[in-house]
Amino acid sequence: MSSNKAVFKERIIKQILTAFAFSSLLFLFLIFAFILVEGLPLFYKAGVKNIIFGMKWAPTRGFFGIFPMIVSSFLVTFGALVIGGPLGLGCAVYLAEYAGRQQKMFLKPALELLAGIPSVVYGFLGVLYIVPFIRTFFGGSGFSLLATSIVLGIMILPTVISISYDALMSVPRSYREGALAMGSTKWQSTWRVVIPAAKSGILASCILGMGRAVGETMAVIMVAGNALKIPGGLLDPLRTLTSNIALELSYASGDHRLGLFSTGVVLLFIIMVLNYFANFVIRRTVIK
Amino acid sequence: MLDCALKTDKLNLYYGAFHGLKDVDFCVYRNAITSLIGPSGCGKSTLLRCFNRMNDLIDDVAVQGTILVNDEPLAGIDIIELRKKIGMVFQRPNPFPFTVRENLVYGLKVHGYNKRRYDEILERCLKAVGLWEDIKDKLNTPAMSLSEEMKQRLCVARVLTVEPEIILLDEPCSALDPIATLKIEELMIELKRNYTILIVTHNMQQAARVSDYTGFMLLGDLIEFGETSKIFTSPADERTDGYITGRFG
Ligand SMILES: Nc1ncnc2c1ncn2[C@@H]1O[C@H](COP(=O)(O)OP(=O)(O)O)[C@@H](O)[C@H]1O
Ligand SMILES: [Mg+2]
Repeated sequence: MSSNKAVFKERIIKQILTAFAFSSLLFLFLIFAFILVEGLPLFYKAGVKNIIFGMKWAPTRGFFGIFPMIVSSFLVTFGALVIGGPLGLGCAVYLAEYAGRQQKMFLKPALELLAGIPSVVYGFLGVLYIVPFIRTFFGGSGFSLLATSIVLGIMILPTVISISYDALMSVPRSYREGALAMGSTKWQSTWRVVIPAAKSGILASCILGMGRAVGETMAVIMVAGNALKIPGGLLDPLRTLTSNIALELSYASGDHRLGLFSTGVVLLFIIMVLNYFANFVIRRTVIK
Repeated sequence: MLDCALKTDKLNLYYGAFHGLKDVDFCVYRNAITSLIGPSGCGKSTLLRCFNRMNDLIDDVAVQGTILVNDEPLAGIDIIELRKKIGMVFQRPNPFPFTVRENLVYGLKVHGYNKRRYDEILERCLKAVGLWEDIKDKLNTPAMSLSEEMKQRLCVARVLTVEPEIILLDEPCSALDPIATLKIEELMIELKRNYTILIVTHNMQQAARVSDYTGFMLLGDLIEFGETSKIFTSPADERTDGYITGRFG
Protein backbone atom coordinates (compact mmCIF):
# COMPACT_ATOMS: atom_id res chain seq x y z
CA MET A 1 0.00 0.00 0.00
CA SER A 2 1.41 3.37 -0.91
CA SER A 3 2.05 5.76 1.92
CA ASN A 4 -0.03 8.37 0.17
CA LYS A 5 -3.05 6.18 0.41
CA ALA A 6 -2.36 5.49 4.09
CA VAL A 7 -2.11 9.19 4.84
CA PHE A 8 -5.37 9.81 3.02
CA LYS A 9 -7.08 7.08 4.99
CA GLU A 10 -5.75 8.51 8.26
CA ARG A 11 -7.14 11.89 7.36
CA ILE A 12 -10.58 10.53 6.55
CA ILE A 13 -10.72 8.61 9.81
CA LYS A 14 -9.73 11.67 11.76
CA GLN A 15 -12.42 13.73 10.08
CA ILE A 16 -15.10 11.16 10.74
CA LEU A 17 -14.13 10.96 14.41
CA THR A 18 -14.12 14.74 14.68
CA ALA A 19 -17.61 14.81 13.23
CA PHE A 20 -18.75 12.26 15.81
CA ALA A 21 -17.23 14.28 18.62
CA PHE A 22 -18.87 17.48 17.50
CA SER A 23 -22.23 15.82 16.96
CA SER A 24 -22.69 15.71 20.74
CA LEU A 25 -22.22 19.46 20.79
CA LEU A 26 -24.75 19.73 17.99
CA PHE A 27 -27.30 17.70 19.93
CA LEU A 28 -26.80 19.88 22.96
CA PHE A 29 -27.30 22.98 20.85
CA LEU A 30 -30.44 21.54 19.25
CA ILE A 31 -31.94 20.68 22.63
CA PHE A 32 -31.28 24.18 23.93
CA ALA A 33 -32.59 25.84 20.78
CA PHE A 34 -35.69 23.69 20.71
CA ILE A 35 -36.62 24.28 24.34
CA LEU A 36 -35.90 27.98 24.21
CA VAL A 37 -37.79 28.51 20.94
CA GLU A 38 -40.81 26.70 22.26
CA GLY A 39 -40.58 27.84 25.85
CA LEU A 40 -39.68 31.51 25.73
CA PRO A 41 -42.69 32.91 23.82
CA LEU A 42 -45.05 32.15 26.68
CA PHE A 43 -42.85 34.17 29.04
CA TYR A 44 -43.64 37.19 26.82
CA LYS A 45 -47.28 36.38 26.54
CA ALA A 46 -48.13 35.47 30.12
CA GLY A 47 -45.39 37.44 31.88
CA VAL A 48 -42.26 36.14 33.58
CA LYS A 49 -43.60 36.99 37.01
CA ASN A 50 -46.92 35.22 36.46
CA ILE A 51 -45.14 32.08 35.43
CA ILE A 52 -42.27 31.91 37.88
CA PHE A 53 -44.07 33.31 40.90
CA GLY A 54 -47.62 32.32 39.94
CA MET A 55 -49.26 30.02 42.47
CA LYS A 56 -51.87 28.56 40.17
CA TRP A 57 -51.33 26.06 37.37
CA ALA A 58 -54.47 25.76 35.17
CA PRO A 59 -53.00 26.06 31.71
CA THR A 60 -56.25 25.53 29.86
CA ARG A 61 -57.69 28.52 31.68
CA GLY A 62 -54.67 30.74 31.22
CA PHE A 63 -52.91 30.20 34.59
CA PHE A 64 -49.30 29.17 34.15
CA GLY A 65 -47.94 29.58 37.67
CA ILE A 66 -45.19 27.06 38.43
CA PHE A 67 -43.96 28.47 41.70
CA PRO A 68 -45.20 25.50 43.75
CA MET A 69 -43.34 23.16 41.42
CA ILE A 70 -40.13 25.17 41.64
CA VAL A 71 -40.35 25.07 45.41
CA SER A 72 -41.20 21.37 45.33
CA SER A 73 -38.26 20.60 43.09
CA PHE A 74 -35.96 22.40 45.50
CA LEU A 75 -37.49 20.65 48.49
CA VAL A 76 -37.09 17.14 47.12
CA THR A 77 -33.57 17.96 45.96
CA PHE A 78 -32.68 19.22 49.39
CA GLY A 79 -34.39 16.21 50.97
CA ALA A 80 -32.44 13.87 48.72
CA LEU A 81 -29.24 15.59 49.78
CA VAL A 82 -30.08 15.35 53.47
CA ILE A 83 -30.58 11.61 53.10
CA GLY A 84 -28.13 10.70 50.34
CA GLY A 85 -25.31 13.10 51.31
CA PRO A 86 -24.29 11.72 54.70
CA LEU A 87 -25.03 8.15 53.65
CA GLY A 88 -23.02 8.53 50.46
CA LEU A 89 -20.14 10.26 52.19
CA GLY A 90 -20.08 7.60 54.89
CA CYS A 91 -19.95 4.91 52.26
CA ALA A 92 -17.20 6.71 50.33
CA VAL A 93 -15.15 7.14 53.50
CA TYR A 94 -15.55 3.47 54.33
CA LEU A 95 -14.49 2.48 50.83
CA ALA A 96 -11.54 4.85 50.65
CA GLU A 97 -10.18 4.55 54.19
CA TYR A 98 -11.38 1.39 55.86
CA ALA A 99 -12.37 -1.24 53.31
CA GLY A 100 -9.90 -3.99 52.55
CA ARG A 101 -9.30 -5.30 49.08
CA GLN A 102 -12.05 -7.90 49.41
CA GLN A 103 -14.73 -5.50 50.60
CA LYS A 104 -13.87 -3.15 47.76
CA MET A 105 -14.06 -6.01 45.33
CA PHE A 106 -17.75 -6.55 45.93
CA LEU A 107 -18.81 -3.05 47.01
CA LYS A 108 -17.62 -1.20 43.92
CA PRO A 109 -19.43 -3.39 41.37
CA ALA A 110 -22.51 -3.25 43.61
CA LEU A 111 -22.41 0.53 43.42
CA GLU A 112 -22.07 0.48 39.66
CA LEU A 113 -25.08 -1.78 39.55
CA LEU A 114 -26.99 0.64 41.77
CA ALA A 115 -26.24 3.39 39.26
CA GLY A 116 -27.44 1.21 36.41
CA ILE A 117 -30.84 0.31 37.84
CA PRO A 118 -33.59 2.08 35.84
CA SER A 119 -35.37 4.79 37.76
CA VAL A 120 -38.75 3.16 37.27
CA VAL A 121 -37.51 0.32 39.46
CA TYR A 122 -36.68 2.76 42.26
CA GLY A 123 -40.15 4.27 41.87
CA PHE A 124 -41.72 0.84 41.93
CA LEU A 125 -39.96 -0.13 45.15
CA GLY A 126 -40.89 3.26 46.57
CA VAL A 127 -44.57 2.65 45.86
CA LEU A 128 -44.46 -0.89 47.17
CA TYR A 129 -42.49 -0.31 50.37
CA ILE A 130 -41.68 3.27 51.26
CA VAL A 131 -45.09 4.81 50.61
CA PRO A 132 -47.02 2.17 52.62
CA PHE A 133 -44.41 2.39 55.37
CA ILE A 134 -44.89 6.14 55.69
CA ARG A 135 -48.68 5.79 55.49
CA THR A 136 -48.67 3.23 58.29
CA PHE A 137 -46.17 4.80 60.64
CA PHE A 138 -46.44 8.55 60.02
CA GLY A 139 -49.90 9.00 58.50
CA GLY A 140 -51.19 10.71 55.36
CA SER A 141 -51.42 8.98 52.01
CA GLY A 142 -47.74 8.11 52.03
CA PHE A 143 -47.21 9.78 48.65
CA SER A 144 -45.17 12.63 50.01
CA LEU A 145 -42.12 14.84 50.21
CA LEU A 146 -40.64 12.33 52.63
CA ALA A 147 -41.15 9.35 50.30
CA THR A 148 -39.73 11.28 47.36
CA SER A 149 -36.71 12.43 49.36
CA ILE A 150 -35.94 8.89 50.46
CA VAL A 151 -36.22 7.47 46.95
CA LEU A 152 -34.12 10.28 45.47
CA GLY A 153 -31.66 10.06 48.35
CA ILE A 154 -31.00 6.45 47.40
CA MET A 155 -30.84 7.30 43.71
CA ILE A 156 -28.14 9.93 44.14
CA LEU A 157 -25.95 7.57 46.20
CA PRO A 158 -23.87 6.31 43.27
CA THR A 159 -23.07 9.87 42.18
CA VAL A 160 -22.20 11.06 45.67
CA ILE A 161 -20.22 7.95 46.51
CA SER A 162 -18.16 7.67 43.35
CA ILE A 163 -17.15 11.33 43.20
CA SER A 164 -16.48 11.61 46.95
CA TYR A 165 -14.51 8.39 46.75
CA ASP A 166 -12.33 9.79 43.96
CA ALA A 167 -11.82 12.96 45.99
CA LEU A 168 -10.78 10.99 49.07
CA MET A 169 -8.48 8.74 47.07
CA SER A 170 -6.71 11.74 45.58
CA VAL A 171 -5.76 13.01 49.05
CA PRO A 172 -2.01 12.35 49.18
CA ARG A 173 -0.90 9.46 51.34
CA SER A 174 1.59 11.82 52.99
CA TYR A 175 -1.25 13.68 54.76
CA ARG A 176 -2.53 10.46 56.26
CA GLU A 177 0.98 9.44 57.29
CA GLY A 178 1.63 12.86 58.78
CA ALA A 179 -1.55 12.68 60.80
CA LEU A 180 -0.97 9.14 62.01
CA ALA A 181 2.66 9.86 62.88
CA MET A 182 1.40 12.64 65.18
CA GLY A 183 -0.31 9.95 67.21
CA SER A 184 -3.85 10.34 65.94
CA THR A 185 -6.20 7.46 65.56
CA LYS A 186 -7.38 6.38 62.16
CA TRP A 187 -10.70 8.12 62.66
CA GLN A 188 -9.08 11.35 63.86
CA SER A 189 -6.85 11.49 60.80
CA THR A 190 -9.81 10.69 58.54
CA TRP A 191 -12.17 13.19 60.12
CA ARG A 192 -9.76 16.01 60.80
CA VAL A 193 -7.37 15.72 57.86
CA VAL A 194 -8.50 13.51 54.98
CA ILE A 195 -12.12 14.65 54.74
CA PRO A 196 -11.28 18.37 55.05
CA ALA A 197 -8.56 17.91 52.43
CA ALA A 198 -11.13 16.38 50.08
CA LYS A 199 -13.88 18.86 50.83
CA SER A 200 -14.06 20.46 47.40
CA GLY A 201 -14.56 17.13 45.70
CA ILE A 202 -17.10 16.09 48.31
CA LEU A 203 -18.98 19.34 47.76
CA ALA A 204 -18.90 18.74 44.01
CA SER A 205 -20.30 15.25 44.51
CA CYS A 206 -23.22 16.72 46.45
CA ILE A 207 -23.92 19.33 43.80
CA LEU A 208 -23.85 16.75 41.03
CA GLY A 209 -26.09 14.53 43.13
CA MET A 210 -28.49 17.46 43.43
CA GLY A 211 -28.42 17.83 39.65
CA ARG A 212 -29.41 14.20 39.37
CA ALA A 213 -32.23 14.68 41.89
CA VAL A 214 -33.66 17.80 40.20
CA GLY A 215 -33.78 16.03 36.87
CA GLU A 216 -35.23 12.72 38.04
CA THR A 217 -38.76 12.20 36.73
CA MET A 218 -40.19 8.72 36.63
CA ALA A 219 -39.48 7.64 40.19
CA VAL A 220 -40.70 11.01 41.44
CA ILE A 221 -44.02 10.80 39.61
CA MET A 222 -44.59 7.42 41.16
CA VAL A 223 -44.11 8.40 44.81
CA ALA A 224 -44.69 12.17 45.03
CA GLY A 225 -48.49 12.26 44.80
CA ASN A 226 -48.24 15.06 42.21
CA ALA A 227 -50.48 17.56 44.00
CA LEU A 228 -50.43 21.11 42.65
CA LYS A 229 -49.48 23.01 45.77
CA ILE A 230 -46.51 23.80 47.95
CA PRO A 231 -46.25 20.97 50.48
CA GLY A 232 -46.92 22.16 54.02
CA GLY A 233 -44.96 19.35 55.64
CA LEU A 234 -42.92 16.21 55.10
CA LEU A 235 -46.04 14.07 54.66
CA ASP A 236 -47.70 16.27 52.01
CA PRO A 237 -47.75 15.34 48.33
CA LEU A 238 -46.08 17.57 45.75
CA ARG A 239 -45.33 17.92 42.05
CA THR A 240 -41.91 18.75 40.66
CA LEU A 241 -41.01 20.56 37.43
CA THR A 242 -40.00 17.35 35.69
CA SER A 243 -43.14 15.51 36.77
CA ASN A 244 -45.28 18.35 35.46
CA ILE A 245 -43.84 17.99 31.97
CA ALA A 246 -43.99 14.21 31.90
CA LEU A 247 -47.51 14.01 33.29
CA GLU A 248 -49.14 16.45 30.92
CA LEU A 249 -47.18 16.55 27.69
CA SER A 250 -49.01 13.63 26.10
CA TYR A 251 -52.33 15.47 25.97
CA ALA A 252 -51.34 19.15 26.07
CA SER A 253 -51.87 21.43 23.10
CA GLY A 254 -51.64 25.14 22.32
CA ASP A 255 -50.66 27.37 25.25
CA HIS A 256 -50.80 24.40 27.60
CA ARG A 257 -48.03 22.79 25.59
CA LEU A 258 -46.05 26.02 25.61
CA GLY A 259 -46.49 26.18 29.37
CA LEU A 260 -44.78 22.83 29.68
CA PHE A 261 -41.89 24.09 27.61
CA SER A 262 -41.63 27.11 29.90
CA THR A 263 -41.38 24.63 32.77
CA GLY A 264 -38.55 23.04 30.80
CA VAL A 265 -36.77 26.38 30.44
CA VAL A 266 -36.80 26.90 34.21
CA LEU A 267 -35.56 23.36 34.76
CA LEU A 268 -32.77 23.82 32.26
CA PHE A 269 -31.75 27.01 34.01
CA ILE A 270 -31.62 25.34 37.43
CA ILE A 271 -29.53 22.48 36.08
CA MET A 272 -27.14 24.87 34.37
CA VAL A 273 -26.62 26.78 37.60
CA LEU A 274 -25.92 23.54 39.49
CA ASN A 275 -23.49 22.39 36.84
CA TYR A 276 -21.75 25.71 36.90
CA PHE A 277 -21.22 25.47 40.64
CA ALA A 278 -20.02 21.88 40.40
CA ASN A 279 -17.51 22.80 37.72
CA PHE A 280 -16.40 25.82 39.68
CA VAL A 281 -15.78 23.74 42.79
CA ILE A 282 -14.00 21.01 40.82
CA ARG A 283 -11.79 23.44 38.95
CA ARG A 284 -10.80 25.15 42.15
CA THR A 285 -9.66 21.79 43.54
CA VAL A 286 -7.65 20.94 40.47
CA ILE A 287 -5.84 24.25 40.47
CA LYS A 288 -5.04 23.99 44.13
CA MET B 1 27.94 4.75 80.19
CA LEU B 2 25.87 6.39 77.50
CA ASP B 3 22.24 5.43 77.48
CA CYS B 4 20.11 4.57 74.50
CA ALA B 5 16.80 6.27 73.92
CA LEU B 6 16.12 3.73 71.19
CA LYS B 7 17.71 0.34 70.95
CA THR B 8 17.26 -2.69 68.74
CA ASP B 9 18.45 -6.20 69.34
CA LYS B 10 18.58 -8.74 66.52
CA LEU B 11 15.92 -6.83 64.65
CA ASN B 12 14.64 -8.54 61.52
CA LEU B 13 11.96 -7.25 59.21
CA TYR B 14 10.32 -8.91 56.24
CA TYR B 15 8.23 -7.31 53.51
CA GLY B 16 6.46 -10.51 52.53
CA ALA B 17 9.30 -12.75 51.43
CA PHE B 18 11.78 -9.89 51.11
CA HIS B 19 14.23 -9.69 54.02
CA GLY B 20 14.39 -5.92 54.63
CA LEU B 21 16.38 -5.73 57.89
CA LYS B 22 18.86 -8.38 58.92
CA ASP B 23 19.83 -8.84 62.58
CA VAL B 24 20.16 -5.14 63.20
CA ASP B 25 21.68 -4.14 66.57
CA PHE B 26 21.39 -0.41 66.76
CA CYS B 27 21.22 2.33 69.34
CA VAL B 28 20.17 5.95 69.29
CA TYR B 29 21.87 7.87 72.12
CA ARG B 30 19.96 10.37 74.15
CA ASN B 31 20.35 14.08 73.35
CA ALA B 32 22.56 13.37 70.41
CA ILE B 33 22.12 13.23 66.67
CA THR B 34 22.46 9.82 65.13
CA SER B 35 22.47 9.46 61.39
CA LEU B 36 21.83 6.50 59.14
CA ILE B 37 23.58 6.48 55.80
CA GLY B 38 23.76 4.02 52.97
CA PRO B 39 22.78 3.62 49.35
CA SER B 40 19.17 3.97 48.30
CA GLY B 41 17.06 0.92 49.14
CA CYS B 42 19.36 -0.39 51.87
CA GLY B 43 16.67 -0.17 54.57
CA LYS B 44 17.34 3.16 56.27
CA SER B 45 13.73 4.30 56.15
CA THR B 46 12.55 0.85 57.06
CA LEU B 47 14.64 0.88 60.23
CA LEU B 48 13.58 4.41 61.12
CA ARG B 49 9.92 3.58 60.63
CA CYS B 50 10.18 0.64 63.01
CA PHE B 51 10.56 3.04 65.92
CA ASN B 52 7.19 4.76 65.52
CA ARG B 53 5.54 1.69 64.00
CA MET B 54 4.81 3.37 60.69
CA ASN B 55 5.54 0.03 59.05
CA ASP B 56 2.27 -1.15 60.57
CA LEU B 57 0.53 0.75 57.77
CA ILE B 58 1.98 -1.61 55.20
CA ASP B 59 0.33 -4.96 54.63
CA ASP B 60 2.35 -8.09 54.98
CA VAL B 61 5.16 -6.78 57.18
CA ALA B 62 6.65 -9.06 59.80
CA VAL B 63 9.01 -7.78 62.52
CA GLN B 64 11.11 -10.03 64.75
CA GLY B 65 13.54 -9.12 67.49
CA THR B 66 13.50 -6.53 70.21
CA ILE B 67 13.05 -2.78 70.08
CA LEU B 68 13.45 -0.83 73.30
CA VAL B 69 12.25 2.71 73.87
CA ASN B 70 13.86 4.11 77.02
CA ASP B 71 14.63 0.50 77.95
CA GLU B 72 10.98 -0.43 77.69
CA PRO B 73 9.86 -2.95 75.06
CA LEU B 74 8.18 -1.13 72.19
CA ALA B 75 5.57 -3.86 71.90
CA GLY B 76 4.19 -2.91 75.31
CA ILE B 77 3.73 0.80 74.56
CA ASP B 78 0.38 2.13 73.42
CA ILE B 79 0.76 3.19 69.78
CA ILE B 80 -0.78 6.63 70.38
CA GLU B 81 1.59 7.33 73.26
CA LEU B 82 4.51 5.95 71.26
CA ARG B 83 3.88 8.26 68.33
CA LYS B 84 3.40 11.21 70.62
CA LYS B 85 6.73 10.46 72.27
CA ILE B 86 8.51 9.76 68.97
CA GLY B 87 7.74 12.40 66.36
CA MET B 88 8.50 12.02 62.68
CA VAL B 89 9.45 14.41 59.89
CA PHE B 90 9.07 13.12 56.35
CA GLN B 91 11.10 13.31 53.19
CA ARG B 92 8.77 15.71 51.45
CA PRO B 93 7.35 18.47 53.64
CA ASN B 94 3.78 17.36 54.28
CA PRO B 95 1.88 20.14 56.02
CA PHE B 96 -1.87 19.60 55.92
CA PRO B 97 -3.68 21.78 53.37
CA PHE B 98 -4.97 24.06 56.11
CA THR B 99 -3.72 27.25 57.72
CA VAL B 100 -0.41 27.41 59.58
CA ARG B 101 -2.28 27.62 62.85
CA GLU B 102 -4.51 24.66 62.10
CA ASN B 103 -1.43 22.61 61.26
CA LEU B 104 0.11 23.42 64.60
CA VAL B 105 -2.95 22.83 66.76
CA TYR B 106 -3.77 19.51 65.08
CA GLY B 107 -1.69 17.43 67.47
CA LEU B 108 -2.88 19.47 70.43
CA LYS B 109 -6.50 18.75 69.56
CA VAL B 110 -5.84 15.09 68.97
CA HIS B 111 -4.05 14.71 72.29
CA GLY B 112 -6.59 16.77 74.20
CA TYR B 113 -4.45 19.71 75.25
CA ASN B 114 -6.21 22.56 76.98
CA LYS B 115 -7.23 25.23 74.47
CA ARG B 116 -5.83 27.95 76.69
CA ARG B 117 -2.34 26.56 76.20
CA TYR B 118 -2.50 26.64 72.38
CA ASP B 119 -1.04 30.10 71.86
CA GLU B 120 1.82 29.62 74.25
CA ILE B 121 2.74 26.24 72.73
CA LEU B 122 2.47 27.60 69.18
CA GLU B 123 4.83 30.43 69.96
CA ARG B 124 7.33 28.20 71.72
CA CYS B 125 7.42 25.68 68.86
CA LEU B 126 7.63 28.27 66.10
CA LYS B 127 10.47 29.93 67.99
CA ALA B 128 12.23 26.60 68.37
CA VAL B 129 12.26 26.11 64.59
CA GLY B 130 13.14 29.73 63.87
CA LEU B 131 9.87 30.59 62.18
CA TRP B 132 8.27 32.81 64.76
CA GLU B 133 9.50 36.17 63.49
CA ASP B 134 8.63 35.33 59.88
CA ILE B 135 5.29 33.82 60.49
CA LYS B 136 3.71 35.26 63.62
CA ASP B 137 1.49 37.57 61.57
CA LYS B 138 0.67 34.87 59.03
CA LEU B 139 -0.77 32.20 61.26
CA ASN B 140 -3.99 32.19 59.29
CA THR B 141 -2.45 31.87 55.84
CA PRO B 142 -2.49 28.49 54.11
CA ALA B 143 0.55 26.40 54.97
CA MET B 144 0.78 25.47 51.30
CA SER B 145 1.74 29.02 50.43
CA LEU B 146 5.01 28.82 52.38
CA SER B 147 8.37 28.05 50.76
CA GLU B 148 9.53 24.43 50.84
CA GLU B 149 12.03 25.19 53.58
CA MET B 150 9.44 26.93 55.72
CA LYS B 151 7.03 24.06 55.15
CA GLN B 152 9.62 21.62 56.44
CA ARG B 153 10.28 23.84 59.46
CA LEU B 154 6.56 23.98 60.05
CA CYS B 155 6.45 20.18 59.96
CA VAL B 156 9.18 20.06 62.60
CA ALA B 157 7.25 22.60 64.67
CA ARG B 158 4.11 20.51 64.28
CA VAL B 159 5.95 17.53 65.71
CA LEU B 160 7.31 19.61 68.60
CA THR B 161 3.84 20.78 69.68
CA VAL B 162 3.01 17.47 71.33
CA GLU B 163 6.26 17.42 73.32
CA PRO B 164 8.08 14.40 71.89
CA GLU B 165 11.36 13.14 73.34
CA ILE B 166 12.69 11.70 70.14
CA ILE B 167 12.45 13.04 66.60
CA LEU B 168 12.87 10.85 63.54
CA LEU B 169 13.75 12.63 60.31
CA ASP B 170 13.65 10.72 57.03
CA GLU B 171 15.81 12.59 54.51
CA PRO B 172 14.29 15.89 55.65
CA CYS B 173 16.35 17.97 53.24
CA SER B 174 16.00 15.98 50.04
CA ALA B 175 13.33 18.34 48.71
CA LEU B 176 15.26 21.47 49.68
CA ASP B 177 17.93 23.59 48.01
CA PRO B 178 21.47 23.70 49.51
CA ILE B 179 20.95 26.90 51.49
CA ALA B 180 17.68 25.69 53.00
CA THR B 181 19.43 22.41 53.73
CA LEU B 182 22.13 24.16 55.76
CA LYS B 183 19.48 26.02 57.70
CA ILE B 184 17.60 22.84 58.55
CA GLU B 185 20.89 21.31 59.66
CA GLU B 186 21.49 24.23 62.00
CA LEU B 187 18.01 23.69 63.33
CA MET B 188 18.76 20.04 64.08
CA ILE B 189 21.90 20.96 66.01
CA GLU B 190 19.83 23.50 67.91
CA LEU B 191 17.20 20.89 68.77
CA LYS B 192 19.74 18.37 70.00
CA ARG B 193 19.88 20.07 73.38
CA ASN B 194 16.33 19.11 74.19
CA TYR B 195 15.61 16.16 71.95
CA THR B 196 17.08 12.91 70.76
CA ILE B 197 17.41 12.89 67.00
CA LEU B 198 17.65 10.13 64.44
CA ILE B 199 18.14 11.25 60.87
CA VAL B 200 18.21 9.23 57.69
CA THR B 201 20.19 10.79 54.90
CA HIS B 202 21.79 9.71 51.68
CA ASN B 203 23.95 12.81 51.87
CA MET B 204 27.23 11.82 53.54
CA GLN B 205 28.38 15.41 54.03
CA GLN B 206 25.19 16.06 55.91
CA ALA B 207 25.79 13.10 58.20
CA ALA B 208 29.35 14.27 58.77
CA ARG B 209 28.24 17.84 59.50
CA VAL B 210 25.41 17.25 61.92
CA SER B 211 25.62 13.88 63.56
CA ASP B 212 27.46 12.60 66.60
CA TYR B 213 26.97 8.94 65.71
CA THR B 214 26.60 7.32 62.34
CA GLY B 215 25.33 3.96 61.18
CA PHE B 216 26.14 2.64 57.74
CA MET B 217 23.65 0.25 56.16
CA LEU B 218 23.89 -1.97 53.14
CA LEU B 219 21.23 -4.36 51.80
CA GLY B 220 19.41 -4.57 55.12
CA ASP B 221 22.53 -5.00 57.25
CA LEU B 222 23.84 -2.44 59.68
CA ILE B 223 27.46 -2.78 58.59
CA GLU B 224 29.03 -0.41 61.02
CA PHE B 225 27.95 1.90 63.78
CA GLY B 226 29.96 4.32 65.86
CA GLU B 227 31.07 7.89 66.43
CA THR B 228 30.70 9.93 63.28
CA SER B 229 34.31 11.11 63.31
CA LYS B 230 35.51 7.54 63.51
CA ILE B 231 33.20 6.25 60.76
CA PHE B 232 34.33 8.97 58.41
CA THR B 233 38.05 8.90 59.17
CA SER B 234 38.88 5.31 59.98
CA PRO B 235 36.02 2.95 59.21
CA ALA B 236 36.52 -0.59 60.39
CA ASP B 237 34.75 -2.23 57.48
CA GLU B 238 36.04 -1.89 53.96
CA ARG B 239 32.50 -1.60 52.59
CA THR B 240 31.99 1.49 54.73
CA ASP B 241 35.27 2.81 53.46
CA GLY B 242 34.16 2.11 49.91
CA TYR B 243 30.90 3.95 50.40
CA ILE B 244 32.27 7.08 52.08
CA THR B 245 35.07 7.42 49.58
CA GLY B 246 32.47 7.21 46.84
CA ARG B 247 33.47 3.96 45.24
CA PHE B 248 29.84 2.83 45.14
CA GLY B 249 26.39 3.99 46.12
N1 LIG C 1 6.13 -1.34 51.31
C1 LIG C 1 7.13 -2.11 50.86
N2 LIG C 1 6.88 -3.33 50.34
C2 LIG C 1 7.87 -4.11 49.88
N3 LIG C 1 9.16 -3.76 49.88
C3 LIG C 1 9.49 -2.56 50.39
C4 LIG C 1 8.49 -1.67 50.90
N4 LIG C 1 9.11 -0.54 51.34
C5 LIG C 1 10.43 -0.73 51.10
N5 LIG C 1 10.66 -1.93 50.54
C6 LIG C 1 11.97 -2.47 50.16
O1 LIG C 1 12.80 -2.47 51.26
C7 LIG C 1 14.09 -2.02 50.93
C8 LIG C 1 14.49 -0.87 51.81
O2 LIG C 1 13.67 0.23 51.57
P1 LIG C 1 13.86 1.60 52.32
O3 LIG C 1 13.93 1.35 53.76
O4 LIG C 1 12.82 2.53 51.85
O5 LIG C 1 15.28 2.07 51.77
P2 LIG C 1 16.07 3.43 51.98
O6 LIG C 1 15.25 4.32 52.84
O7 LIG C 1 17.37 3.04 52.56
O8 LIG C 1 16.26 4.00 50.61
C9 LIG C 1 14.06 -1.65 49.47
O9 LIG C 1 14.67 -2.67 48.73
C10 LIG C 1 12.62 -1.57 49.14
O10 LIG C 1 12.38 -2.04 47.83
MG1 LIG D 1 14.25 6.11 52.35
